[in-house]
Amino acid sequence: MIKYANTRVAFIDSLAELADKNPKIVLVCSDSSKVIRADGFKAAFPDRFIDVGIAEQNAVACAAGLASCGLIPVVATYAGFITMRACEQVRTFVAYPFLNVKMVGANGGIGAGEREGVTHQFFEDLGILRTIPGITIVVPADASQVSKAVEAVVNVPGPVYLRIGSGRDPVVLDSDLPFELGKIRHLQVFGDDVAILANGHTIPRALAAAKRLYNSGIKAAVVEVHTLRPLDTEGIVAILEKTGAAVTVEDHNIIGGLGSAIAEVIAEKVPVPLARVGLRDLFPESGEAEKLMDAYGLSVDDICNACRQVLARKEGRSA
Amino acid sequence: MMISDTVSHLETMARQIRRDIITMIYQAGDGHPGPSLSCADLVTALYFAIMEVDPANPQWSRRDRLILSKGHACPAVYAALARKGYFDLSELPQLRTLGSILQGHPDMLKTPGIDFTSGSLGNGISVGLGIALAARINGLHYHTYVITGDGELQEGIIWEAAMAAKHYQVGNLIVFVDYNGIQSGGRTEEISGLEPIVPKFEAFGWHCQVIDGHNFTEILTAVANAKATPAIPSVIIANTIKGKGISFIENNNAWHKRVPTKAEWEQALQELGG
Repeated sequence: MIKYANTRVAFIDSLAELADKNPKIVLVCSDSSKVIRADGFKAAFPDRFIDVGIAEQNAVACAAGLASCGLIPVVATYAGFITMRACEQVRTFVAYPFLNVKMVGANGGIGAGEREGVTHQFFEDLGILRTIPGITIVVPADASQVSKAVEAVVNVPGPVYLRIGSGRDPVVLDSDLPFELGKIRHLQVFGDDVAILANGHTIPRALAAAKRLYNSGIKAAVVEVHTLRPLDTEGIVAILEKTGAAVTVEDHNIIGGLGSAIAEVIAEKVPVPLARVGLRDLFPESGEAEKLMDAYGLSVDDICNACRQVLARKEGRSA
Repeated sequence: MMISDTVSHLETMARQIRRDIITMIYQAGDGHPGPSLSCADLVTALYFAIMEVDPANPQWSRRDRLILSKGHACPAVYAALARKGYFDLSELPQLRTLGSILQGHPDMLKTPGIDFTSGSLGNGISVGLGIALAARINGLHYHTYVITGDGELQEGIIWEAAMAAKHYQVGNLIVFVDYNGIQSGGRTEEISGLEPIVPKFEAFGWHCQVIDGHNFTEILTAVANAKATPAIPSVIIANTIKGKGISFIENNNAWHKRVPTKAEWEQALQELGG
C-alpha cells in the first residue's frame, strides 16, 4: 500500500515556521493561496502575504522588487505558471540580478498534475530553468523532504526553484532522513551492475525496479538526485565509475531534466551507457496518477527494461 | 532656493545631460539617442530636485528609487548618475563596451546607482509595486519612481501591475509615462493605439495628471501633487518629444537607435550650447 502525505501542506507549514522567526520572509501568491493551503500563513502573517491575483508575471516581477529591498519573497503557484507564463520575469528580473526570490512550483510532473490534464501537468519546468544561469533547482522526494528542503533553500542566497506535487503525494523516504542540498543520496545499493538515478515521486518505482532486478540476478544501486543545480557531479561520477551503466527516472520530459543533466556528466566525464526513463517528448492526458505514469513510460517494467538495455550495452551484447 | 532658481538649475543640468547622451553614444558607437533625449528632463528632475539619494551610499535603504522601465533610454540615467557623482564621467564613453560598468541596458549589479535591472519592456511598474510594498513591510517611507515608455503600455503585465497597485493602495508609487507617441516600429497610434490613455489609468483607480514632460515647473508640481494623494498610486502622463533638444533628431524615428556622425555630433553639441 502506498502511503500519502501532502507536499503542499509540508511546504506551507515549514514556511510559516520559518517566517515566525525570520521577518524578511514574504509569501507572494497569484490567486494560489488555496492551491498551496496558505490560509494559516495569511492569518498568521497578514502583512507578509501578497496576492496579486491571477497574474504570474506580475507576481514574479513584484517579488523581484521585494527582494531588491532585502526581503525574501517566496512565490508559490503551479509550476508551469511560474516557469512558463512568467519565464522571462524569472530569467531577467530574478536570475540575472541574482535576487533572493524563492519559487515553489506545484503539480510538478504528470503524476502530480494527473487528472487535470496537460494544462496543469508540468513536465518541462526543470528543463526550462536548467537553461537559465544561477537558479538552484530542487526536486524533493516527498512531504517530509519538502519540509527540510524549504528551510535549506530559504537559507541559500539567490534564486531557488523548489518543485512540489499535487497534495496527494506518495511517502517515499523515511521521515527521519535529513535533506542535504546539492548532494546525491544512495538510497539502496544491491550492487554495482547499474545505477538508477531518480528523484521526486518516481523514487518508489525506482526502488521497486531495483528489487525486481535483484530477484533476477541484477544488482542495481538506487541513487536520489534531488538537486539538479548545483549538481553533485563528483558524487555522480563516483557512482557511475563503479556501475559503468546508468538509468535515469524522472516525472519530466526526458529532454532537459534529470536525464539530460546526467547525460551531460556522462558525455564529459564518465562515458557509460545511459537510458532515460521519463516522458518521451510527448503530451500525455488526464488520468489517475499511478496509472498515468504506468501508461506514459514510467512503469516499474519500463525501468527494469531500461536497466537490462544499458547492461547489455555495457557488456557489449544486444539486449 | 526659489522655484525659478531650481528650474533654471535643472534646465542647465538637462542641457549638460543631453550633451553627455549624444557624446557617449557617439564615442561608444552604439545606443538609443531618441528615447534617451525624450526622458532626459524627467530623469534630470528626479535626480537633481526630487529624489532623496546618497551617491556615496547607493544601497542606502531609505533612498528613493527609480526604475527605468524603458531601459534602452539608459544613457540619460547613466549621465545623471555620473553628474550626480555615483561614478566618474570617464565611464560614459565605455557604454556598451566589453568590461564596462555601463551595460546596453541597466544592470543593478554592475552600475552604482541603478536601483533595478531593466530593458525588457513592460516590467517596471510591477517591479516598482514590489519595491513600494517593501517600504511598507520594512517600515520605510521612500518613494518609488518608474519611467515607462508609451509603447510598452501595450504589454499586459503593465495592467496586471496597475490593478494590483490600486488594490494594495501603494501611494508611494509614482509612474511617469514618457509619452512621445513613437515606438520602435513607428507611431504608437498606428501600431496599437493607447488612446484614450487617461481614462484607462483612471479606470484602474490611479491618480492621473497630464503634463508637458519638458517643463520643469510642471514636473515638480505634478510630483508634489502625486505625493499629496498618498492612498493611491499616481501616474503622470508626460507629453514629450522623442529626440528632444536636437533639431534633426526630434520626432525622427530613424534616431530611435542610431549613432551620429562626427558632423552630426558637433552640430548637436552646438545646438545644446557647446
